[in-house]
Amino acid sequence: MKRIIVEYEKCDGCKNCSAACMQAHRKTQGTIYDLDLTDPENESRNFILKDAKGQYKPLFCRHCDDPECVKSCMSGALYKDPESGHVLYDETRCGSCFMCVMNCPFGVLKPDTATKTKVIKCDFCADAGNEPSCVASCPKKAIYVEEV
Amino acid sequence: MNQCYSCTTCKSADKPLQEFIAGLPMETSHHRVESQSTKCAFGLQGVCCRLCSNGPCRITPESPRGICGASADTIVVRNLLRAVASGSGCYIHVVENTALNVKNTAKTKGQIKGIGTLNRLAALFGIEEEDVHKRAEAVADAVLKDLYLPEYEKMALTEKLAYKPRYDKWKELGLLPGGAKSEVFHGVVKCSTNLNSDPVNMLLDCLKLGISTGIYGLVLTNLLNDVVLGEPEIRFAPVGLRVIDPDYINIMITGHQHSMFTFLQNRLTDQDVKEKARKAGAKGFKLVGCTCVGQDLQLRGAHYTEIFDGHAGNNYTSEAILATGGIDAVISEFNCTLPGIEPICDELKIKQICIDNVAKKANAQLKEFDFENRPAVTEEIIDEILEAYKARRGSVPMNLLKEHGNDATLTGVSETSLKNFLGGTWQPLIDLIVSGDIKGVAGVVGCSNLTAGGHDVLTVDLVKELIARDIIVLTAGCSSGGIENCGLMTKEAAKLAGPKLRAVCEKLGIPPVLNFGPCLAIGRLEIVATELAEALHVDLPELPLVLSAAQWLEEQALADGCYGLALGLPLHLGLPPFVTGSKTAVQVLTQDMKELTGGQVIINSDAKASADILEQIILEKRQGLHI
Repeated sequence: MKRIIVEYEKCDGCKNCSAACMQAHRKTQGTIYDLDLTDPENESRNFILKDAKGQYKPLFCRHCDDPECVKSCMSGALYKDPESGHVLYDETRCGSCFMCVMNCPFGVLKPDTATKTKVIKCDFCADAGNEPSCVASCPKKAIYVEEV
Repeated sequence: MNQCYSCTTCKSADKPLQEFIAGLPMETSHHRVESQSTKCAFGLQGVCCRLCSNGPCRITPESPRGICGASADTIVVRNLLRAVASGSGCYIHVVENTALNVKNTAKTKGQIKGIGTLNRLAALFGIEEEDVHKRAEAVADAVLKDLYLPEYEKMALTEKLAYKPRYDKWKELGLLPGGAKSEVFHGVVKCSTNLNSDPVNMLLDCLKLGISTGIYGLVLTNLLNDVVLGEPEIRFAPVGLRVIDPDYINIMITGHQHSMFTFLQNRLTDQDVKEKARKAGAKGFKLVGCTCVGQDLQLRGAHYTEIFDGHAGNNYTSEAILATGGIDAVISEFNCTLPGIEPICDELKIKQICIDNVAKKANAQLKEFDFENRPAVTEEIIDEILEAYKARRGSVPMNLLKEHGNDATLTGVSETSLKNFLGGTWQPLIDLIVSGDIKGVAGVVGCSNLTAGGHDVLTVDLVKELIARDIIVLTAGCSSGGIENCGLMTKEAAKLAGPKLRAVCEKLGIPPVLNFGPCLAIGRLEIVATELAEALHVDLPELPLVLSAAQWLEEQALADGCYGLALGLPLHLGLPPFVTGSKTAVQVLTQDMKELTGGQVIINSDAKASADILEQIILEKRQGLHI
């Protein structure tokens, strides 16, 4: 399967990956110029945190081999796609218990800010042919896709 | 044979140039577009603020305000005002130097080549001096006096130069500018850290800076230059890399201040200097035009046929011009002198001389223009260039492109020469507009960039779309350089126009695109527009006239654009000016401006869609005039 690999030492915290993620999943048509950067509806599925030493830590869904989020999902909204190996999310089946948020070892999953009824989850840009927009937008090549 | 340096050059509307650059054994701006293609989304939207040490702050759903509390609106418009103030400063620097050169020329009883323009300005300013030199000095002094006024004193010439209905509108909106230099100062103070946070208030300052930039930096710079350098005369002249003749010692000129070259220009054709060139093995000296100062020389080329070889290309052609090997020296005095020319000059042993320290290039020798000592400095410059010629010729390979460009591009179009061409009145043009043979007028102005489709791509495609719709195009700026090298200003281009415009062009023997030359000549377009409006007894926003800075590049262009908006004209831009992160800025610029001044910003990067929008606006304006 394909996985986004993170070389966090290369990250300089520009957040272009987050902006690209927001653009890729916005509900309205448009370009990066008119993406509403203040609208919580457009929130990003990846994050950049800074650790105590000042090092940037880009957080991306790792689509784990043995995903804790899937194991903790009682409704079956989260599942591992046998074909691609990616962890996918069916919003219609989600019971909003957020056990997945509690159990994600990377801390990347979170409830959506606007309604707190669903999970903000990477879909590997399935609509864009599994070519993640975040990877394409990283000027430092700190993230890249690798077959694992 | 050339090796391909990287094979990743960007597109150009000028295909022979694109091919030439792709085959160069050195890097140019065209090669760097790809490696800079990942753009920062926050920067593109203008919502990155680094005005204080808490920053840079960026706007996201989780962080809708900067640490200080600045909203996206405040951050965006502060950034815009900074850019407009800076751009205005550039043009005001140019008009200040030009006025000083006119004044010094007059004081030293130098040649006044444009007596018609001098008299026109003197009459406008209410100056009655019998002696021509005293008259020129008084005109220059009147301009300088205004430039140096404090911000709280309104400039006196604004009212004399502006169209009455516009002046009244500006007065009503509180947009009359104080001293032009002080307005720049006011602008940069206003957008500094934790001062103004009111986006609309700052946008009004942008308009005010647009007015001082337009009337002084643009309109007056042209006219003052005409006084000492001669008025443009309509003619056809060669353009493109073909103008470089390797038998001569070739000096490429870049910048915006034509009046700084007068003395050198004349000196280079003196017998003793020509003799020096001959002794070095050349036929003489030639100036090769590049960027807007080249456009300006081309525009007034009727007065400089011996020394001026022709205009080779715009800002993003400069590296290619040097790469031909045929250039021996670059004399620069302002932007758009790209830093990218430096390694090429090094490699090809091209001497770089800069004559204005505001534009000092890292590799260049600074020989500041000094009116009093200009004979001595000029001799030094000539000797330096002779040495460079001797050192490099024979050891540097030539890579000329003689087939590039064309031999008969229309030039020398100005508000005066065009009116004279029409028989001393605008009536023939008005009649053609009324009859619909010319649907409307589009000023395609400003710079060239490499990102709106590539080098001159959007500009040239848009011009083709507009002329095909019977809309006549007037150009001013680096846009002229690209459009002319692509052949759209030759008589033969008439066949690309719509049937009605084509018939007009063929009857008059003109192309469908009229070349006003440098970006400064946006001021000339404004004079044409004003005189048309006057003849029709309407205000500027009512005219079937649109502006497009399709490939605007820099801060000066933003100040120009603000002038267009203050004039009440629709202004198309290919790329947004880093404002889309602010809903207020977008609303004011694209919508509310119609109520405010009559102007509006249209942002569209597609040539056909843009032309559709501009054509629709022209049709609506025609309807408004009942034609």
